[in-house]
Amino acid sequence: MDGKGWERVRMARLGGSSASRGREAAQLRQVSSQTVRLGRVQPQAPSHRTIYCNDREANLLARFKVNSVSTTKYNILTFLPKGLFEQFRRVANLYFLMISILSTTPISPVSPVTNVVPLSLVLLVSLIKEAFEDWKRFQNDIAINSTPVDVLQGENWETVSWRKLQVGDIIRVKQDEFFPADLLFLASTNPDGVCYIETANLDGETNLKIRKALERTWDYVFPEKASEFKGEIQCEQPNNSLYTFTGNLIVENQTLPLSPNQILLRGCSLRNTVHIVGAVIFTGHETKVMMNSMSVPSKRSTLERKLDKLILTLFGGLFFMCLIGAIGSGVFINRKYYYLGLFEDVEQQFNPSNRFVVSILTMFTLITLYSTIIPISLYVSIEMIKFIQCAQFINKDLRMYHAETNTPALARTSNLNEELGQVEYIFSDKTGTLTRNLMEFFKCSIGGVSYGVGITEIERGQAQREGRALNEIQKSDTVVYEKGFNFDDDRIMRGAWRNERDPEIFKEFFRCLALCHTVLPEGDESPEKIVYQAASPDEAALVTAAKHFGFFFYRRTPTTVQLRESHVEKMGNIQDVSYEILNVLEFNSTRKRQSVVCRYPNGRLVLYCKGADNVIYERLAGTNQDIKRLTREHLEQFGSSGLRTLCLAYRDLTIDTYENWNEKFVQAKSSLRDREKKLDEVAEMIEKDLILIGSTAIEDKLQEGVPDCIDTLSRAGIKIWVLTGDKMETAINIAYACNLINNDMKQLIITSETDAIREAEEKGDPVEISRVIRDSVSHDLKRCLEEAQQDLHIFGQKLALVIDGKCLMYALDPSFRVDLLKLSLNCSSVVCCRVSPLQKAQVTSLVKKGARRITLSIGDGANDVSMIQAAHVGVGISGLEGMQAVMASDFAIAQFRFLKDLLLVHGRWSYIRLCKVITYFFYKNLTFTLTQFWFTFHTGFSGQRFYDDWFQSLYNVIFTALPVIILGLFDKDVSASLAKKYPQLYKEGIRNTYFKWAVVGVWAFFAFYQSLIFYYFTTTASENGHNSSGKIFGLWDVSTMAFTCVVITVNLRLLMACNSITRWHHLSISGSILAWFVFIFIYSGVMTPNDRQENVYFTIYVLMSTFYFYLTLLLVPIVALFGDFLYLGLQRWFFPYNYQIVQEIHRDEVDSISRTEFLEIGNHLTPDEARSYAIAQLPREKSKHTGFAFDSPGYESFFASQAGVYVPQKAWDVARRASVRSSKRTSQR
Amino acid sequence: MNNSAASTSSGSGDVPAPRRNSNRPKYSRFTQQELPACKPILTPRWVITVFTLIGVIFVPIGVAALMASNKVVEIVYRYDAVCIHGNTKDEKVAYIQNANTSKTCIITLTVPKDMDQPIYVYYQLDNFYQNHRRYVKSRNDAQLKDSDKANDTSGCDPEKTTPDGSPILPCGLIAWSLFNDTYSFSIGNQNLTVNKVGISWKSDRDHKFGDNVFPRNFQNGTMKGGASLNESIPLSQQEDLIVWMRTAALPTFRKPYGKIEQNLRVNETITVIIQNYYNTYSFSGKKKLVLSTSSWLGGKNDFTGIAYLTIGGLCFFLATAFTVVYLVKPRKLGDPSYLSWNRNPSGH
Repeated sequence: MDGKGWERVRMARLGGSSASRGREAAQLRQVSSQTVRLGRVQPQAPSHRTIYCNDREANLLARFKVNSVSTTKYNILTFLPKGLFEQFRRVANLYFLMISILSTTPISPVSPVTNVVPLSLVLLVSLIKEAFEDWKRFQNDIAINSTPVDVLQGENWETVSWRKLQVGDIIRVKQDEFFPADLLFLASTNPDGVCYIETANLDGETNLKIRKALERTWDYVFPEKASEFKGEIQCEQPNNSLYTFTGNLIVENQTLPLSPNQILLRGCSLRNTVHIVGAVIFTGHETKVMMNSMSVPSKRSTLERKLDKLILTLFGGLFFMCLIGAIGSGVFINRKYYYLGLFEDVEQQFNPSNRFVVSILTMFTLITLYSTIIPISLYVSIEMIKFIQCAQFINKDLRMYHAETNTPALARTSNLNEELGQVEYIFSDKTGTLTRNLMEFFKCSIGGVSYGVGITEIERGQAQREGRALNEIQKSDTVVYEKGFNFDDDRIMRGAWRNERDPEIFKEFFRCLALCHTVLPEGDESPEKIVYQAASPDEAALVTAAKHFGFFFYRRTPTTVQLRESHVEKMGNIQDVSYEILNVLEFNSTRKRQSVVCRYPNGRLVLYCKGADNVIYERLAGTNQDIKRLTREHLEQFGSSGLRTLCLAYRDLTIDTYENWNEKFVQAKSSLRDREKKLDEVAEMIEKDLILIGSTAIEDKLQEGVPDCIDTLSRAGIKIWVLTGDKMETAINIAYACNLINNDMKQLIITSETDAIREAEEKGDPVEISRVIRDSVSHDLKRCLEEAQQDLHIFGQKLALVIDGKCLMYALDPSFRVDLLKLSLNCSSVVCCRVSPLQKAQVTSLVKKGARRITLSIGDGANDVSMIQAAHVGVGISGLEGMQAVMASDFAIAQFRFLKDLLLVHGRWSYIRLCKVITYFFYKNLTFTLTQFWFTFHTGFSGQRFYDDWFQSLYNVIFTALPVIILGLFDKDVSASLAKKYPQLYKEGIRNTYFKWAVVGVWAFFAFYQSLIFYYFTTTASENGHNSSGKIFGLWDVSTMAFTCVVITVNLRLLMACNSITRWHHLSISGSILAWFVFIFIYSGVMTPNDRQENVYFTIYVLMSTFYFYLTLLLVPIVALFGDFLYLGLQRWFFPYNYQIVQEIHRDEVDSISRTEFLEIGNHLTPDEARSYAIAQLPREKSKHTGFAFDSPGYESFFASQAGVYVPQKAWDVARRASVRSSKRTSQR
Repeated sequence: MNNSAASTSSGSGDVPAPRRNSNRPKYSRFTQQELPACKPILTPRWVITVFTLIGVIFVPIGVAALMASNKVVEIVYRYDAVCIHGNTKDEKVAYIQNANTSKTCIITLTVPKDMDQPIYVYYQLDNFYQNHRRYVKSRNDAQLKDSDKANDTSGCDPEKTTPDGSPILPCGLIAWSLFNDTYSFSIGNQNLTVNKVGISWKSDRDHKFGDNVFPRNFQNGTMKGGASLNESIPLSQQEDLIVWMRTAALPTFRKPYGKIEQNLRVNETITVIIQNYYNTYSFSGKKKLVLSTSSWLGGKNDFTGIAYLTIGGLCFFLATAFTVVYLVKPRKLGDPSYLSWNRNPSGH
């Protein structure tokens, strides 16, 4: 039960989950007028709150909120008013409410039934849906609120439900439980007062994070002791910033400052810790996670916006028709028609002495009469169709089910199905989306020698393109496969490195891998069973590599790292060594490197450092140029093979040097202002004179089926842009590998890596730098644009644009934006590298707003969130990664290649179906209303209704409701496999072929034509048409006849619009027609004593007793459909749509996919897939988060900080001994 | 406690769930959108076939309907102009409204063809908006049906009550404006009896007009709209009223007056004595007397037959035209070269 509860929290959009995003939003507002709406950080209340721990009475005064949460929209009392209010915010509903009110006045020609019944039905359906959804939320809330938790009562733990918790309570949370509120972490069963938490519900990161209690409170683990705890917490008011917290704990007159490190947030769960004790500080809706959950800003599809225009046009038409009628009525009304009883005291509406008033009032009369022109059930029908499309078709499509990760596709919103059918631009993240975020240690260069025999996909692809043959070296049989390790080289495996030229450097290499990281080992301390918790898969891969090289990292304590080293002293020798970790100089985006200072058991002090090549090379000692040169060459080789490289280096430290430095470091650690900056500066002081060991190369594997998918999508007329934080070379390589760029294309490159810019940067004057870059960007843009015009129009060559983040920053400037847009729209593919999340969103908005094309963003990580939200359609990659992108997305799929199904099949079908549904609705209501309109001309413009009230009210909701829904669900022009075989068919959606004004116009024309047929044929044929006994029809006989014809024709017309006719079509269409006959038989056959005008009494039987009825019934629908049939026949014959040709090509084929084929989907694996499948089957796989650590090397935060955006430090630092000390120091302040 | 631990851990999704707990969607033809369907393709052959088929069905029906219509003999005589004195509209209205002038008017009709009995007599009015909103709703069905509701005159404005306040039955404008011209027919000296029974729909007589409801206070007002009713005959037998109150759909309408149950031979001269009471002169409406036989289809109505023939003919024509086009310049079905990207590879 609780599982479901948390699912909801998971789903709640964590809009402002970090302060940085909030600022980004502010930044965005500055940069472009209106780009993306992100979460806001609520302003903090100026005051603070004081909490008395373990003292309920003292806290009572403050009236803190209770801990029960409610996420329901309504309660029993508010449901009806609030629910109705929500419904009437829709213009169509409000319109019908007004019409209904109008129809209760004598001015109305129709009884209220006509409008009230359909409106009530529509409202009923919507309200039932709302109630059902709210009921589910309510159940969730109950489940959550009644979860038990242990609270300290006296000296015992007492189990109460969550909702009973109060601020200040001391509670105990056990392993794997969720924290019921925001807690101050007091004590833990773990030594050193640490605990591990999982924050997947908050930010989707699955790796464990460490929290550490203040040393002062470590003892209060058990109830006897804890009951003595009397502390006072002064802290900030509740706010929604997840990564900040300021406050003090006052214990025994001692003030201890609190940091986010001591805060356990609701929504997280406790891991690897028996239990913790904490004090409740924020409860219920005041917890940070609750304050973050904000309503998802709903996107509306382009089609729906066009629909609004259509509805508006209908309103215009309605007004026009009413105006004609009103003028007519003013002209017509005359006392000469004495039989109308227009005496002196006649009511205003018919008073010939005041024709103007007559016109005005008739206007209202006619509005109620013609109200059916607005299709009231359209919105409800569309909602139902889309909902079923999502829930039944997209979510359950086996073609989009990923067996390896056990993930089906998920439509998170049902608003955008048809938008998927019109996408023209796809913005894709690279890592995790195009590439698997499966980092495998692939090659390395140690001491100037390159090791590793594998060949990457990219190399293979390049070789294929160049026509070279690659001689693959067979891997040895004993080769180990493990996730993160795909390396083989006999020269160094299994201790063979001892025989290489310089074994010492190998030791340094392996130790650097095994020591310099922030990985946490978990599980059994055996090489087979251990699981590494790492911030990024690169790190885990490196540590795993060290394990396979014989340097097995198996335990971390806050101060040491313990390795089991093999073959160090001599072959086959295994020993456990404990290294003391003195300092960790963390990775961040500006540093682009990470170092540890460690002490060997023998007292040797070493600094190990790993980082990006350029930063490491800058800090190398001036010796051994050979290794540097060779390693540089290898780095380039690795880079061009699409591998991700890191340089490793070390430095021996003397005790004096270290002590001196450490003092400064501790100072910096404890400084309160600009701590980060100072830490960086201090780190700079020791990370110098490094000795290069070598480099590692990690393969970032392409996702399955990516090149094929991209090829198909581009044939479908979709342009794919890759937006990545990676460097240009990697990005271009990946683009090549994915078929985005090929050798036939001309590459236009705009980069900041030019001499002029470098020169300016060396001078360091920011104004000058920006001027130089600006000039160069402007120049480049002009040049590329010229080239593009020439190449594209004269030589017809395809173009590819590559631009880097720094240039993009300037190119996105309003003065260049137009050029950039013009250029990029001319290119078949665009690669933006080293871009920040902010820029991703900006580029997306540029195309969305500037080119007015429909955009789709796809990504997997937190850095794609803004881009996903900015695009028309956001797609998140689910399954392997964290939840953040998925939570911001509209659709979640497991693999990039599923885009093919999502767009070409589901999107295309949804679009075509929705277009048909809308145009059909338009047609059927227009036809119906126009017959009324023609009748008006023959009634002296009095606004007399043609049809009986109930006919009119049930027309939309019963007699024509179901078939159109069936059409919206089942219509299928070409099968799924053909839609993918002929991706070009998708272009019809991009061009909006099916919902243009021309299409609407054709429907309108036929509606016009048909309504004329209905009205004039039935009336003219009935004029002298009595039966053989000489009797004459009255008004209601004729109108029943006409209505019968309308119902039959309109339903048959739907059948003509269908491309595939299932038995559901037959059932619904014949059912609808049958429903009409059943209705009219009963309705006109039974006479009730109640107030009902007996207009139609017996009409159908009267009609059926005449030949006229049957002749007309055969004649009118056929004549009405004659035009449509002729049109469809001619159109198909002479101007066939592409899909019609495809239908014809494959007309004799049965839908080939059979059940068994489906069962095979996902079981048919290539060896590579089998391997990754096997990996996926491994017992636990926790950390797959694309931490920024080594993934896209922090460029986003780099640019963010340049733009003045603060990027918070992640709060999951490992083993921060210094910070503990520093907080002590600050406490004495 | 165990309970809570179990429940919370299941929520985390972190515990290695057994693999058999699969999210794999179940196969069904519905969710995979593989429902068996027929996929009609409107090929030229189909178009031609359908047109031919419609033609084949429609032309005979059209011929039959037209023949039926042609068999019907119809005499239409407009008498509103000849049966009036005065030239201007005002004079005409004054004449017709003057209760003291003689309204008798004698006309003669010649039978153009043999007319077999029954011969239906109709009157046809023009420019008379029986479907005007104010007119249509000015009646009370309950009152007509149920003797207990004689006082129920709601909706009958402005003909609800007499000036002294007693309810009118049948109330309302429709009844008030009941047509009151009368016709009597004779050939030579022999009178033709007009049978006025059975000219209304049976359902109206049986269910809409009560057999114990008698007219009351009808046409007692200051202004008489039309015919008066015999207060001793129940409404269900007042067929002129019943016919009149089945309001017409269009402003030009016919209503049955009676039947002549006697054969008329060609060139016989019928003398009709018309009592021209009904005022259509106010609104320049025409009045016509119609004598008509009927066929299986009803009265004379060429429209249905012509419509069938026209559509049938058009279909034949189109079928032929398409066949010619099909033979001269056939369109190959499913020719990939028709695909837009094949026609214009460089284009969009």
